[in-house]
Amino acid sequence: MVSQVSTQLVLAAKAGPELPSVDDFLPDPILFQGTPFAINRIILIRIVATIVLLLVMCITAKRAKLVPGRWQGLIETLLEFVRDNIVYQVMGEERGRRYVPMITTLFFTIFVFNLCGIIPGMNMAATATVTMPLVFALWTFVQYWIAACREKGFLQYLRGELMPPGVPLPIDIILGPINLLEALIIRPFSLTVRLFANMIAGHLLVATCLAFTQFYLIEASNWAVKPVGVLWLLGGFAFVCFEMFVAALQAYVFSILSTVYINQSYPEVE
Amino acid sequence: MPLAEKNGIALFLPETYDIVWSLVILVVIAVCFYKYIMPKFQAVFDARAAKIEGRMEQAEKAQKDADEAKKKYEDQLSQARVEASKIRDDARAEASHIIADARSRAESDAAQITENAQRSIESQQKQALVSLKGEVGTLATALAGKILGSELSSSATQTQMLDKMIDEMDADSNK
Repeated sequence: MVSQVSTQLVLAAKAGPELPSVDDFLPDPILFQGTPFAINRIILIRIVATIVLLLVMCITAKRAKLVPGRWQGLIETLLEFVRDNIVYQVMGEERGRRYVPMITTLFFTIFVFNLCGIIPGMNMAATATVTMPLVFALWTFVQYWIAACREKGFLQYLRGELMPPGVPLPIDIILGPINLLEALIIRPFSLTVRLFANMIAGHLLVATCLAFTQFYLIEASNWAVKPVGVLWLLGGFAFVCFEMFVAALQAYVFSILSTVYINQSYPEVE
Repeated sequence: MPLAEKNGIALFLPETYDIVWSLVILVVIAVCFYKYIMPKFQAVFDARAAKIEGRMEQAEKAQKDADEAKKKYEDQLSQARVEASKIRDDARAEASHIIADARSRAESDAAQITENAQRSIESQQKQALVSLKGEVGTLATALAGKILGSELSSSATQTQMLDKMIDEMDADSNK
């Protein structure tokens, strides 16, 4: 890996900026190579983010008082936002109570993992390999199938998906498979790709801006191109701020869609 | 992994170790959230809600108590007012009663005193008359004797004259 980086540096110095590439998201393992427990850069980021998240949350929970301080107030605001504005708003309180821990876990984990993308030294969202979003999506998938089997029964649920009530037979022939496909593949796949692609795009944008900034502002010997470097730096500022927003937004979107999917497994309330 | 294989498609092909670590991490986080963080915060939320509700209940109770006490005091006050006016009325009635009583007693006393005085005056008058009658009789006889001494030679004339005089005196005194 070191030799690879050095070649890249040499190339950059000669030819142009060190632009980010697909390789950034497929780093080579640095520990336990060749075992199922191999650890590469992104997994290391993930582990660190996990430890930080759990430490912060556990310490906050342990010190939680009736009269909250500023930090506890902030965490409580987030917790109440997830509970009231995501879960209860979509499912209602009675149905939603069961899913509050799950959606809260999803929201906080995705949010913190996304934020790693703009933390200096990490510079890579912990959700920026396909697996992490996929695991989140599979959790949602399992939850809404369990909910469907419990609330409607497996066959009943399948029938409802294949033959939605009130739809004429000819349309049913098209609609049924589409519905089934959606419940089985499209939902988890769209959840995964939405998050994953957003993180990849975010990293590419920020890294591109910073690479050009480095190239024009620092490495270029021609003083005339320095203002271009300043512009790229401003772009970098903008996209870092944008990535903070996207980190929260994607966490919110993932959480609310998971809630909606689970809620759709429940029978319609008249 | 050779560089050549790292094209766009590779992004979507999860590595085994990636799956393992993602699962491990998610399970660890989920367990922490389910078992510790969420219940802890829920407990704090519940305790806070209970406390606020308790406070509200307390405040309501205090308000009720205060209202009750105020009503009680007001009742007592009005009762005391009524009592005071009653006492005043009673006192006034009693005073007028006492005055009337005293007046009637004084009047009756005065009447009795007057009557007694009248009676004693009358009896004294009678006494005076009786004693006067005796004395006048004697005096008159003596005087008449002196005046008529010689003239009353016949006892018949004497007796006649005496009787006439007494009758006249009687008539005078009875006037």
